[in-house]
Amino acid sequence: MPWISKNWTMKGIIKGLIVTLKHVFHIGGRPTVTVQYPYERMKLAPRFRGKHAIDEDACIGCGICEVNCPNSTITIVKYNTRWFPQFNLGMCMFCGICVDVCPMNALKMTGNYELADYTRESLVYGPEKLLFKKEANQ
Amino acid sequence: METEELLLNMGPVHPSTHGVLRFKLRMDGEIIKECNIVMGYLHRGTEKLGEMKTYLQFTPYTDRLDYISAFPNNYAYAKAIEELAGIEVPLRAEYIRVLTMELNRIINHLVFMGSLLMDLGAATMIMWGFREREKALQLFEMLCGARMTFNYIKPGGVRDDLPDGFIPKLNEFLKDMEKRIDDYEQLINENEIFLMRMKNIGVISAQEAINYGLTGPALRGSGVSYDIRKLEPYSIYPDLDFKVCVQSEGDSFARYMVRVDEMRESLHILRQVVDTMPEAKIVAQAKYGIAPMTGMPSAVSTYFPRIFAPPAGEVYSRIEAPKGELGFYIVSDGTTKPYRVKIRSPSFCNLTAIPRMVVGLKIPDLIAAFGTIDVVLGDVDR
Amino acid sequence: MIENAYQLIVYVLTLLGVYEWIYGIFQSFGIDYVLQIIIVFVEIVILFAFVLVTVMFLTWMERKVVAMVQSRYGPMVTGPRGLLQPVMDGVKLIGKEDIIPAKADRWIFTLAPFIVFIPALLVFIPLPFGKSLIISDLRVGLLYIIAISAMSPVALLLAGWASNNKYSLMGAMRAVAQDISYTIPLALTAIAVVMFTGSLSTVDIVNAQGGTWFGIIPKWFIFIQPLGFILFLIASIAEMGRIPFDFQESESELVAGFFTEYSGMKFAMFFLAEYAHLFAVSGIIVTLFLGGWEGPALPFIPVQLTSLVIFLIKTYAVIFFAMWLRDTVPRVRIDQLLNLGWKIMVPLAVLNLLLTGFIVVAGVI
Repeated sequence: MPWISKNWTMKGIIKGLIVTLKHVFHIGGRPTVTVQYPYERMKLAPRFRGKHAIDEDACIGCGICEVNCPNSTITIVKYNTRWFPQFNLGMCMFCGICVDVCPMNALKMTGNYELADYTRESLVYGPEKLLFKKEANQ
Repeated sequence: METEELLLNMGPVHPSTHGVLRFKLRMDGEIIKECNIVMGYLHRGTEKLGEMKTYLQFTPYTDRLDYISAFPNNYAYAKAIEELAGIEVPLRAEYIRVLTMELNRIINHLVFMGSLLMDLGAATMIMWGFREREKALQLFEMLCGARMTFNYIKPGGVRDDLPDGFIPKLNEFLKDMEKRIDDYEQLINENEIFLMRMKNIGVISAQEAINYGLTGPALRGSGVSYDIRKLEPYSIYPDLDFKVCVQSEGDSFARYMVRVDEMRESLHILRQVVDTMPEAKIVAQAKYGIAPMTGMPSAVSTYFPRIFAPPAGEVYSRIEAPKGELGFYIVSDGTTKPYRVKIRSPSFCNLTAIPRMVVGLKIPDLIAAFGTIDVVLGDVDR
Repeated sequence: MIENAYQLIVYVLTLLGVYEWIYGIFQSFGIDYVLQIIIVFVEIVILFAFVLVTVMFLTWMERKVVAMVQSRYGPMVTGPRGLLQPVMDGVKLIGKEDIIPAKADRWIFTLAPFIVFIPALLVFIPLPFGKSLIISDLRVGLLYIIAISAMSPVALLLAGWASNNKYSLMGAMRAVAQDISYTIPLALTAIAVVMFTGSLSTVDIVNAQGGTWFGIIPKWFIFIQPLGFILFLIASIAEMGRIPFDFQESESELVAGFFTEYSGMKFAMFFLAEYAHLFAVSGIIVTLFLGGWEGPALPFIPVQLTSLVIFLIKTYAVIFFAMWLRDTVPRVRIDQLLNLGWKIMVPLAVLNLLLTGFIVVAGVI
């Protein structure tokens, strides 16, 4: 078999073994990189697109976000005598178009990404869960 | 001895079909006599959705075609609309677009290498690939807030300028990546078992590859120097110095090597882009759609149009996505929604060459050949 | 002179001063053979517990080694550094539904996991864990080990056939072809070792490796039989069914090979057997080529203890190599594997045997 006469030293495999061994002993800048997720978390970028938040003072309930949402995630609902968007996050794909189109810059997206829940109904986030006041936030 | 042919259904749920793809194999023992591909298990009607949504609403859906490398999808769609409507894009936006796309090419090839080696039975490469991919994803997260489905490249520009601290982090990534690719090559390239599995497996000649409509690394592995970045230059590619990576053998190993070389080439492109990035902070074209509302607090809302209707007409625009030629054919009837959107996705066209490659080989060879074609099922079924 | 674990237990009991008393009680009833049975039973329980703990440790170690190679932590949460993770896995597997496919052969399907596990346990009987730490020093120890290992393909074929699944059947067929073609070089290289010792007894083989040349190089057979060692290592990795030769599973091709349809505790039995086999085969490699438990003796510590520690260190080194190799190389193809076995390994093993014969006849060593 000509293959073995060329490859009997198994040079390539030995090279591979060396590079994996370097990882085992963290030689040459090959550290462990994972994080222990529920106990430690990675720092999110400020632009992270997670759960929405509505600026209570800025929002005028115009419905432009509702019109522009590709997935019909947003419906405008009445809350405390004013109109605010309500997000069905089960349908949301976090594209951020609603934030872009908001004429009052009232919408923003926060770093909250742990949105798993047991029922579809609990994924509907009304204004009572999303509103924030700018002063309080800063 | 009387023998019987075995009809083996590989998939739709199988560890190495990269998603929901089904191979109907007629087997003589371990040897494949006939291979039929059954696709469509992930069909989501993206093209039809394109007709139902407005031009600007459709961009997030393009992310979900080839979800491993979403920036080129975004860009291909944006480019088609820009050609349709005759929009000029600020130079800095083009630079950012190329930067993101080349970064995406690198991580696409990392995932390719990882999943290929995973299919061959070596689990280490995918973790190393994901380790570096994570750094790139963090860069993407800084840039646009999402890690896989970006919705960042918009018709007329990009969503936002580069954030503070992006370029230093990118430079760090580029420096690190060079060393990591050496590691990968040391692990894989000369491995006798890997070579044994990849050499002369799934061979497809240049002529056949062209006949089957292969594009991208799969075609370049057969010795055809076909790269849309060179042939039909778009964006800022004419100004950049890079070469088309070609291997002549046409087997699985050649297709693999093309991708490794492309990673280094992409690093080279990225360095040039970082060095020559224009300083002007204009990243989007504000001259189309309705006039921007004045006096608004947000910089974003000044250029993002809410109603956008390109003139009636049709356009086919194609780019070199990491997996091959990605084309968008859009027919506009002058309203805010396209009349027809057709996506020419590289994975779909490349996948059709699999039966030609694998007849007469064995199941492990099918997996090796399929791995080197590098398809994403979201891109195949759309 | 204490020769095996039975005598060791008797010796320890005598030292404690209770053996005569217990023996007297049994003798007064005229059933002193019952005491022998009880002591053998205790041995078996100890062995079984040892194998179970080892298997648990090995699954943990495998994950940790893989994780270290891949720049990860591996299991960290359950117990200190995740040491109790295998226990949790066991609990989870017991809690799983035990699915028997509708078209499967129920009896064979249920029986197969046990048939897999029993040979994996029986292999430990003539394995010398340390000086006099051996269940039974069979005079045909090596032959016994090879014969018992050769039983496992039967069980794999049963499992694959009974599942009534195409992937399972193909996995089983591959496993059988592989096991049969790699048992031959395995046996041939083992015979080369036996030619030096003139005995099949594992204890004799270890004893023959005691002492040193020139005071530094230990008289291990790896130095006389380098080719034999490499062949035996490759063949035994194939026997164990580990990457690069893991055709029994080959998860990316055949889903999970012959245990595709298994779940719950039956799946755990296959898992247990696999890791018990890994430990047993590594122990055999150590016994044959790496000097077994031979090593420096420490003063004031019983030689049984030091030899056990030395044996375990060597065995875990071999296991680490197997795990390390697993993380580095991809899987070969089935026809390439058989080519390698029949066209390269068998001729080389015969050549090795021939050379060994010349050396033994010439009386060089």
